[in-house]
Amino acid sequence: MSEQHVQSVLHSAPGSGAELLEELGMVLYVGAALIFVVVMGLLLHAVFSRRLRASARAWVIGGGIVFPAVTLFVLLTYSLAVGSAVSALNSGTALQLLLNCFGIDSNARIPPPLPGTLRINVVGKQWWWEVRYRAADGELRNVPLANELRIPVDEPVELMVSSGDVIHSFWVPSLAGKVDMIPGRTNRLVVRTSEPGIYRGQCAEYCGGQHALMALYVVAEPRERFYDWLRNQAQPARAPTDPFLRSGYDAFMQGRCPECHTVRGTPAEGTSGPDLTHIGGRHSLAAGVLKNHIGTMAGWIAGSQDVKPGNLMPDSEIHTGSQLRALAAWLESLE
Amino acid sequence: MSVTARIAIGWLYLVLCGCMAPEGYEPHVPEGDPRQGREVLAELECGVCHVIPGVPGARGRVGPALADYKRNVYIAGRYPNDPDILTRFVRDAPSMSPDTAMPAIEMSEAQARDIAAYLYSL
Amino acid sequence: MPSWIHKPSWVHKPTRKIVLLVTGAIALVLFGALGAAVVLLSGAYSTAATTQHFKITHRLLDAGLRYSVRASASDIQAPILDEPHKYEQGAACYRLHCAQCHGAPGIAPDEEGRGMLPIASNLAQSAREWPAEWLYYVTKKGVRMSGMPAWEFRMSEESLWSTVAFLTRLPSLTRAEYAQLSQYSAQLECESAEGAEMQASEDRTKIVFRQYACHSCHRIEGVVGPKSYVGPALVEWSHRKYLAGTLPNNEENLVRFILDPQAVRPHSLMPKLEVAPAHARQMARYLLELE
Ligand code: HEC
Ligand code: HEC
Ligand code: HEC
Ligand code: HEC
Ligand SMILES: [Cu+2]
Repeated sequence: MSEQHVQSVLHSAPGSGAELLEELGMVLYVGAALIFVVVMGLLLHAVFSRRLRASARAWVIGGGIVFPAVTLFVLLTYSLAVGSAVSALNSGTALQLLLNCFGIDSNARIPPPLPGTLRINVVGKQWWWEVRYRAADGELRNVPLANELRIPVDEPVELMVSSGDVIHSFWVPSLAGKVDMIPGRTNRLVVRTSEPGIYRGQCAEYCGGQHALMALYVVAEPRERFYDWLRNQAQPARAPTDPFLRSGYDAFMQGRCPECHTVRGTPAEGTSGPDLTHIGGRHSLAAGVLKNHIGTMAGWIAGSQDVKPGNLMPDSEIHTGSQLRALAAWLESLE
Repeated sequence: MSVTARIAIGWLYLVLCGCMAPEGYEPHVPEGDPRQGREVLAELECGVCHVIPGVPGARGRVGPALADYKRNVYIAGRYPNDPDILTRFVRDAPSMSPDTAMPAIEMSEAQARDIAAYLYSL
Repeated sequence: MPSWIHKPSWVHKPTRKIVLLVTGAIALVLFGALGAAVVLLSGAYSTAATTQHFKITHRLLDAGLRYSVRASASDIQAPILDEPHKYEQGAACYRLHCAQCHGAPGIAPDEEGRGMLPIASNLAQSAREWPAEWLYYVTKKGVRMSGMPAWEFRMSEESLWSTVAFLTRLPSLTRAEYAQLSQYSAQLECESAEGAEMQASEDRTKIVFRQYACHSCHRIEGVVGPKSYVGPALVEWSHRKYLAGTLPNNEENLVRFILDPQAVRPHSLMPKLEVAPAHARQMARYLLELE
């Protein structure tokens, strides 16, 4: 497993939008702190000095009008510059960014994906993420996945975020700012990083009981590895190879699982739960809540309501002990 | 000892707080470190299926609660509760009880010992 | 101004007495409790079955038993007991379930039955003195803290009454007659409580657990018993997903497991207890309601 990064705006990934934002933030914090110190110094001076050195009028005009006007002008210019750098990442214009801020830029004007750019649809659901890769590359169109994003390093990736139910917010602090996921609307966000590793993200808008347990991992990999992975993900699930896995497959099909889950290449075509075609290869289960191994898999299937109370998957209630283990083993084998 | 003497001793117990519960069974896991064990339990997330006191988030009810484990007489209703057997069981339950719902979770021998030591320390 | 207002002693004297009495009583109770604690902790109270009860204790317990049985048996109506073959049937039950403790005409109790305190009395005496309803009640419900088991969950209603029919004849049997009866009844079986009806009140279910000795191995929520962890603690059971580590936890599977654990798990150390199906269901429902 590659390195896992701290989930924090103060640990932005190099080459990401978050890095620019962190810089902007730093300038603001440090600047504000300096101004605060100076103002406090002047205040003390005013209180303790007996003699007024300059005229009151000069102070009011200098400190009350000229200084804020100049500072704010410089800051506005700087932040617009940062904004346009972020949107350059977004391959849009500063104006577009501004319009976006006020929500004027509507869905209708979402440009088609740039040639060669990876576009990923991410749909927030209670309480997981539906992910759909739409690489411009012909054979890799429309790969449905869930709960984990992989991106190539040093390449801007376009995320089209929306919601399947209530308002969620997509936020991977080390990669980019938050973008709300709003039903009936698609927002656009470009992420990019030059450092491989695993970045954790978290839903950032209260969306119901299990909002706190709605996280996801973004895995940044070198381009080659990434495309190998994506090609593999586009494949349907491999047929079970040995009798034990076979019995796990049967247990899956006998249960209610196919009502809600898709495993491509099998009769399971439900869509109200995450796609499980390659579940064994993910770093986590249940939207970043559990590590992914046979134990957590079996535990989730038999007792998801204790792990994530109220989540929309019922506990399996029909599998015997060995069926449960076989089912978990089969799902783990789907890499 | 005469009854009077015993009663006199009884007074003494009363004065000295009077608790005289006999010592329970104290299993010992060679080279098992309970503190380490607790971390292994958290790391492997055994808590999805078990309530384990002292391990954050361990509130699963798929398997039995693992509280005060040394008082249990048997492991999984089949084997005597003994450090060696417990160490084997937590590492590979299915090989010892093929119909069990508890999977074999990958861990080292040392980790299994630490887990056993922690469970006995509860 | 009335004169008594100036005589506070008239008001206070009885109050003082009451205060004195109450303090005295509390002190006495505390002292008694302390004494009891001393006796308990010092180990001076012997639990050995070889020490005898004080005579007065024995008489008191005996009288207590009689009064209790008389009160409880007052609304029991005995059926006709001298139906043909009824007492022969009862003899079979007696030989199988009672003689090891109570002995029989000319026959001593077995070894288990001899070392008990209190000792199981020879029933030839009791049967002369006690009405059938009392015998029935004691046989059905047992006697607590004496070693006399309750037979309600091991013998059918029919068998209980035939045993009583036998008991009523017991005082008149000679050694030879009993030997003959015993030989004859050897081919008869004593019907167990297999076809018991379900009477599912919560209290009743707790009795069922105790009567199958489930609490000798399990700690069961709501049932008082030894702190035994031979089997898993049966607490908060409704949340449990798997039963005996292998079956999904639901009523049907629970009934299946209680009736025949080895059919579910051949190596299980949980014994098969010959539980009546209705009782198994009753226990399963009780467990599945434990939050
Ligand atoms: C009623 C619909 C429904 C049924 C039936 C159902 N699931 Fe789910 N499943 C879900 C939902 C919804 C989630 C996402 C839960 C969450 O994380 O909040 C989920 C999540 C999962 C996950 C984790 C996926 C991930 O990406 O981390 C697995 C594995 C899973 N289900 C397996 C199963 C199996 C096996 C069965 C059959 C025994 C089953 N499910 C039955 C709806 C369902
Ligand atoms: C899929 C759920 C699941 C997971 C994950 C799981 N267990 Fe279990 N565990 C069970 C079940 C079910 C049983 C009952 C097994 C039996 O009776 O055969 C059990 C039994 C046990 C027992 C014996 C309990 C007893 O009362 O005798 C121990 C100890 C134990 N597990 C430890 C662990 C440890 C340590 C881990 C993590 C490495 C773990 N379990 C992970 C389901 C699980
Ligand atoms: C494990 C030993 C044991 C067995 C078996 C047993 N009893 Fe008892 N029984 C006792 C003891 C002990 C007492 C209480 C002492 C006493 O008062 O006799 C008792 C008391 C009684 C009494 C009250 C007698 C009295 O005078 O106090 C009756 C009636 C009785 N048993 C009937 C039966 C019948 C009928 C059976 C067979 C179905 C039976 N017992 C089986 C041990 C046993
Ligand atoms: C001699 C001791 C003993 C007696 C008596 C006994 N049990 Fe058990 N019981 C066990 C043992 C040991 C297990 C564990 C068996 C296994 O997992 O295979 C067990 C398991 C169980 C379980 C499953 C527990 C779990 O955690 O999955 C239930 C339910 C149960 N017993 C109910 C009962 C009932 C009801 C009775 C009375 C009719 C009873 N038991 C009497 C020893 C006993
Ligand atoms: Cu949310």
